[in-house]
Amino acid sequence: MQRKSLRFYLRIYRKILVQDLKSKMSYRADFIISTIGMIFTNIAGFVSFWILFRSFPSINGWTYHEILFLYGFSLVSLTPVQCLFDNNWSLRMYVYSGDFIKYCFRPINLFFYYQSEVFDIKGLGQLAFGLGTIAYSWGKIGLDLTPLMILKMIVFLITASLVMIALQNAAAASCFWIQNSFYLLDLVVRFKDYAKYPVTIFSPVFKFIFTFIMPIAFIAYYPSLVILRPDEVPLLSWLSPLIGCLFFILSYKIWMLGASKYDGTGS
Amino acid sequence: MKLKKYLTLTRAGMIESLQFRLGTVVVVVGNLIYLTVVYFLWRSIYDSAGTDVVNGMTFSDTLIYLVLATALFNFMEMYAVWEIGRKIQSGAIVLDLLKPMDYRRYLFWSYSGSFVMNFFTTFLPTFIIVAVVTKGAVPMGINLLYFVISVVMAIIINYSIDFFVGTICLFTESIWGINIMKQVIVLLLSGATVPIAFFPEPLKTIVMYLPFQSIYNAPLTILLDGSPAPGDLFMILGTQLFWCIVTTVISRLFWKVSLRQITVNGG
Repeated sequence: MQRKSLRFYLRIYRKILVQDLKSKMSYRADFIISTIGMIFTNIAGFVSFWILFRSFPSINGWTYHEILFLYGFSLVSLTPVQCLFDNNWSLRMYVYSGDFIKYCFRPINLFFYYQSEVFDIKGLGQLAFGLGTIAYSWGKIGLDLTPLMILKMIVFLITASLVMIALQNAAAASCFWIQNSFYLLDLVVRFKDYAKYPVTIFSPVFKFIFTFIMPIAFIAYYPSLVILRPDEVPLLSWLSPLIGCLFFILSYKIWMLGASKYDGTGS
Repeated sequence: MKLKKYLTLTRAGMIESLQFRLGTVVVVVGNLIYLTVVYFLWRSIYDSAGTDVVNGMTFSDTLIYLVLATALFNFMEMYAVWEIGRKIQSGAIVLDLLKPMDYRRYLFWSYSGSFVMNFFTTFLPTFIIVAVVTKGAVPMGINLLYFVISVVMAIIINYSIDFFVGTICLFTESIWGINIMKQVIVLLLSGATVPIAFFPEPLKTIVMYLPFQSIYNAPLTILLDGSPAPGDLFMILGTQLFWCIVTTVISRLFWKVSLRQITVNGG
């Protein structure tokens, strides 16, 4: 298969996106309810934070606003996986029913084509909520607002989201090998809820696990240290963009390997 | 004879859930990770607070409460909303409606098998681990009996709410949004995320008047109190019984009324 240019892919993506949005719009009630549901989830997360910090002014040297910043950071960095890679949830159904074969016959990148088919708009509500939380806590902590800071923020947000995308890709791809992959996917997605806590609260063993074995600390904690505690940035924080890219490439390889082994259901 | 046909469904459900052993393993692993996160989070919260008792709850109380709330969640959550919603979307619900058994009852009893299995595979191990880890902070006495009674009522309330929300799917054809809203509301207002004892005052009173606290807060409060005053106990169980009846009647009526006006795909 010859390589297509990036522009070609962007154009294709736009076309598929428009089709997807059109079909979503025909279920307007579902769209509205899902968006409200998403907002509910975010508000509930916020409320439980607020209740906690009414009883405890700080956790392990982290103030309310710093934790809030982490929370906002994790929300924003989890948006891409929500919006762009939502089709991973259906993968096991397609593989099981045999419908997956239709993706194998297109003359474009299989992974790209599969993921581009669904764009989950309700993730945008989460993005807005996360950005609001970041802006609020940014002001409250009194961080500088310089172009460099914003650039850092953007770079680290993007790379942080690559980690979650990678985890989800790998978990979804497990359905090429095992039957009941839903539980694995569900488990990985539950990890993201722990991403909002500073990893320092854990004992060394679990700190190691959450850094290297299940790298959820890279979704919010390590990248956001660059912004929050600029004087004491550990090496792992600077490495997090590299780690994000590495994980993403690895998960892409796993996904493609699984897909290449796929030989349909025979029908 | 009447009971026999229901117990057949229970047995079928038990056999069915035995099929998904891998799923159980993943759920257990997921719970263990969640347990550790909760443990360290609250450990550091209590360490930062400087006092042993916050809002009338010690660290072990909070730990037992939250961990068992999760265990209860895994044991009671039956994704009935998804089941009903999917059946409505695919039209397969017609087949279930034609069965010579009330649909609401049929669904409940077919889930009862997985209740039994989940009780032994997830709830009991978690309970034992917690009792060991907290070194006997769980009072072992007559309260266990009340706890079981309370859990049974909690299951009924939870099922009625699920069924009610599932019925809404008949009208909206949106499953994800409806389900996430229900889940968020139930988990937050029942005390499963943050114990209700920590809620600030006006909110606490409001929450106590809602049915959700009867699902998690009521059984857990009973469990944690080794020698309950008869008045308190009566109050908690009475409230649960009240909500049991109310939610059952409402969800039943709503289903009956809705059934008259649905149009089912391909029906």
